[in-house]
Amino acid sequence: MAKVLFVSEDMKKTKQFKEILEKNSHEFFSADNQLAAFDFIKGFTPDIIILDTQVKGFDLKAVNKKIKSYGDNVLTILLVGEETIEQELSKSANAFLQEAVSGDLLISTINANLRTKNSLEMLSSSNQELARSLYQLNVLYNTSSQFAGTLDKNRLLDIMVEGMDKSLSFGLSCALTFRSENEPVLIITSLYQISDRLLEALKLRTILNYKSLFKKNEIPFELNLENLKIEKHIKQSNKEFDFSVLRYDNMFTPINMSENFFGFIEIYRESEFTTEDATCFQTLAQQVSLPLKSASLYEEIKKTNQKLERLERLKSEFISIVSHELRTPLTAIKNALDILLSGKTGALTEAMDNFINMAKRNVVRLSGIINDLLDLSKIEAGKMDFKFLNTKIEPVLEYVKTSLNEVAKEKKLVLKTKIEDNSTDIYADAQRLEQVLTNLISNAIKFTPEGGEIEIGTKIVDAKEIKYNSIFESELKNLSGKYLMVSVKDTGIGIAQDDLGHVFDQFAQIENSLSRKVGGSGLGLPIARQLMDAHNGAIWCESELEKGSVFYFVIPVAEGKNNFLLNLKQTIQKSKVKNSPVAIINIKGEKEIIDRILEEKNLINKNYLNNSVIEIEDNSTVLSMIISDGDKFSADFLKKKLQGYIHSISGIYPNCAIMYSYAVSPQDSTDEWELIKKVQESYVNIRE
Amino acid sequence: MQKKVLIVDDEQDIVESLKFVLEASNFDCYCAYNGEEGLKMAKEVSPDLIILDVMMPKINGYKICRLLKYDNKYKNIPILMVTARSQDEDRLIGEETGVDEYITKPFELDEIVKKVEGYLNK
Repeated sequence: MAKVLFVSEDMKKTKQFKEILEKNSHEFFSADNQLAAFDFIKGFTPDIIILDTQVKGFDLKAVNKKIKSYGDNVLTILLVGEETIEQELSKSANAFLQEAVSGDLLISTINANLRTKNSLEMLSSSNQELARSLYQLNVLYNTSSQFAGTLDKNRLLDIMVEGMDKSLSFGLSCALTFRSENEPVLIITSLYQISDRLLEALKLRTILNYKSLFKKNEIPFELNLENLKIEKHIKQSNKEFDFSVLRYDNMFTPINMSENFFGFIEIYRESEFTTEDATCFQTLAQQVSLPLKSASLYEEIKKTNQKLERLERLKSEFISIVSHELRTPLTAIKNALDILLSGKTGALTEAMDNFINMAKRNVVRLSGIINDLLDLSKIEAGKMDFKFLNTKIEPVLEYVKTSLNEVAKEKKLVLKTKIEDNSTDIYADAQRLEQVLTNLISNAIKFTPEGGEIEIGTKIVDAKEIKYNSIFESELKNLSGKYLMVSVKDTGIGIAQDDLGHVFDQFAQIENSLSRKVGGSGLGLPIARQLMDAHNGAIWCESELEKGSVFYFVIPVAEGKNNFLLNLKQTIQKSKVKNSPVAIINIKGEKEIIDRILEEKNLINKNYLNNSVIEIEDNSTVLSMIISDGDKFSADFLKKKLQGYIHSISGIYPNCAIMYSYAVSPQDSTDEWELIKKVQESYVNIRE
Repeated sequence: MQKKVLIVDDEQDIVESLKFVLEASNFDCYCAYNGEEGLKMAKEVSPDLIILDVMMPKINGYKICRLLKYDNKYKNIPILMVTARSQDEDRLIGEETGVDEYITKPFELDEIVKKVEGYLNK
C-alpha cells in the first residue's frame, strides 16, 4: 500500500485513477493546481507522484523540482500524450505511461516501482548502519591504542570521553571521578553552554547516581554538593542547554579500576541510542579499566620512588651536617691535646704523656671515620667531584708506598712492588686512586703479622683474561676491553670464604672484633668500591685463611670511548643532583667535516658547551657531544642548527650525518644506570 | 716589634688554642668572636695577618674577606681561611674573594703557626 498523489487538471482522469488505485488499496490524493500540489507536498511526502504532462495551467517543471527537493525517495511517473516533453522533466521520471493507460498496466507499473523503491531503501539503511558500525569500531580501536599510550589517570578518562563523543556524538556527558579521596570532580563535556539551574540539577543527579551505586554504609568516598568540583568542556558557546536536555535519551555506566570503583559516566543524546550504541558505550567504559589500574600502580611506584629518593638525600645531608658539626669540637680537643703534648704548658710525666697520646690517637681515628663517612655520603649523593685526567699509576703508587713505608717498617713488614707496566695511561682521578691504594695497603699492613710481606703489582689485562671468584660475578661481568690491574697481596690472617662476599659492604667489618682491635671505620673498602665504580672499574679479592689475601682493582685504560663514557656518567649523575637534562649528539662523517663543525664558532658556541664534553675519536670521524646544564630546548636548538649546517654542505660531504641524539631529563628515568646503559649502547652502535 | 695577628672565630675554644700557640711563637694576638666584631677590629687594629673562620653568625668569613680585599687600605693583609667544609665549590668562592690560604678543620696547630710565620717572618 502506497500514498499516491495525482497531479492533473483533468477531472475525468482523476476520477478514473482514484477508482483504480483505491480498488488496489492504495491511498489516493489529487491536486488540480500548482498551489494545491505544493501545499500537499509540504504536509507530507507521498510515495508516488503521477504527473499529467497534459496539464497546461501550471508549471510542471517547478512542481517536479519541489518534489525532488524532498528527496529522491519520491517516485515520479509521468503521464504522457503525443507531444514530446521537456528533457529535464523526462530525466527525472522513474516511469512513463501513455495517456490511455489500462488499469492493469497502471497498477503493475506502480507496484514494480514500489518494490524497487523498498529494496533500495533497505539497502541504503543497512549500508548506513554498516558504515556507522565500522566508524564505531574504528573509534574503539583508536581509543584503545590511545589508552596504551598514557599512564595518567586524568588523561585516560579524557580519552574515554573523547572516544564516546566521536562514536556516539552525545550532546552532554557527565563523568564523575575522584582525583584523590576527598577531591571528587564532575567533568562535564557539552555541545552547548550549561544553564545555571541545569548545572545544579546535574550535580544533584550525580550525587544521587553515586549513592545509588553502593549500599548505604559502603560508600567509598565522601561526596556532597560542597566538595564536588566542576570541570567544564564546552564546544559551542553560542547556545545553551537547559532542563530539556534531561529528557534526551541517556546511558549510564560505572567505571572501574580493575575491580575497584573509579567513577561513572552518563551521556545524553537527542536521538535515541541503539543497541550497538549501548555496546560501544559499555565497551569503552570497560576498556579503560585496566589502563587505569596500571596508571594507579605507576603513580604508587613513582610516589614510593620519590619518597625513597628524598630519604636517601636526607640521609646524605644528615651525615654531611653531622660530620661537619663534629669537626669543630674535634678540632678543639685536638688543639688542646697538641698544646699539652708540646710541653709549652709544662713538663709531662710519662704516664700523662702516655694517656694524652692515647686521647690524641683516638681523636685522629675519629677524624678518619668522619672523613670516611663524609666521603661515602658524598659519593652516594653524586656530589663527589672527580677530576678525571690521563694518569699513570706509578707516581701514585710511589707516593702511597712512601707515605706508608714507616708504618710497614714498624711492623717489620716487607713492602715490594712488581710493576709489569708503567707506560699505559689510565683515565682516573689521581687523588681518589691514591685513596683506594692507601686503603688497600694500610689494610694489608694492619692484617699482616710481623715479618710478613706485602706485594703490590700492576699489569695490563684484557677483561676476558680476568679470573675471579663467582661471588664477584655481578661486579665484573660487565667489564670489556683493556684494563690496568693493580693487586695488593699480603701474608696476613686472611678472610673466611663465607665473609668474602661481604668485605665491600658498608659497616661489615665493624662487627669483626679484629677490625675493632686494629682500628678503622670499616668504610675503607666500601669507599674503595664506590670509587672504583665511579671510574667504571671494579674491585674484588681472593683469600685463604691464615695464608693471606689478594685485593685487585681494575681501571679502564685511557682511550676515546672509555673517557667519553666516564664523562657521560659523571654528567648524568651531576644532572640528576641538579635536576637538569642531558643531551647527547653524535656526528659521523669525514674528518674534514668534523674539523669544520668544530671550527664553526657560531654553530657550537660557548653557551651550549659550557659544561659539556666534546669527544673526537682518534681517526676523527666521530664527534660526540654531551650537553648538560642547559635546558632541553638548547640541546634541541643545537641539534637543529647542526642538522641545518650539515644539510647545507651535504653536497661537499655526502656521507655526513647526525647519527644519534638523545635528550633526556633525569626525571624521565627512575634508574640512572638504566639511562647510562641506553646511551652507552647507542654510543657503541654508532662506532661500530 | 711584635707582629699582630687577628683571630676571628665564633668557637671560643678554637680561638683560645690558636691564641696560645701563636703567643708562644711571639705574635701579638687579637681575638674576635663574630663577624661584625672581626670586621670592626680588623679596621681598628690593622693586623699583619687575619685567621678567619667561614661559618659565623651575622657576617660570614667570605663577606669579611671580600670587604677587606676590596679596600685598598686592607687588601694587602694576608687572610688564612679556616673551615670545616672541604667542598671544592667553597674553595672556589674563597679564591674569588681573595683568600690567601685555606685550612680545613681539623687542622694541626703547628701547621698554622708555620703558615703564619711564613707570611710574617719573611
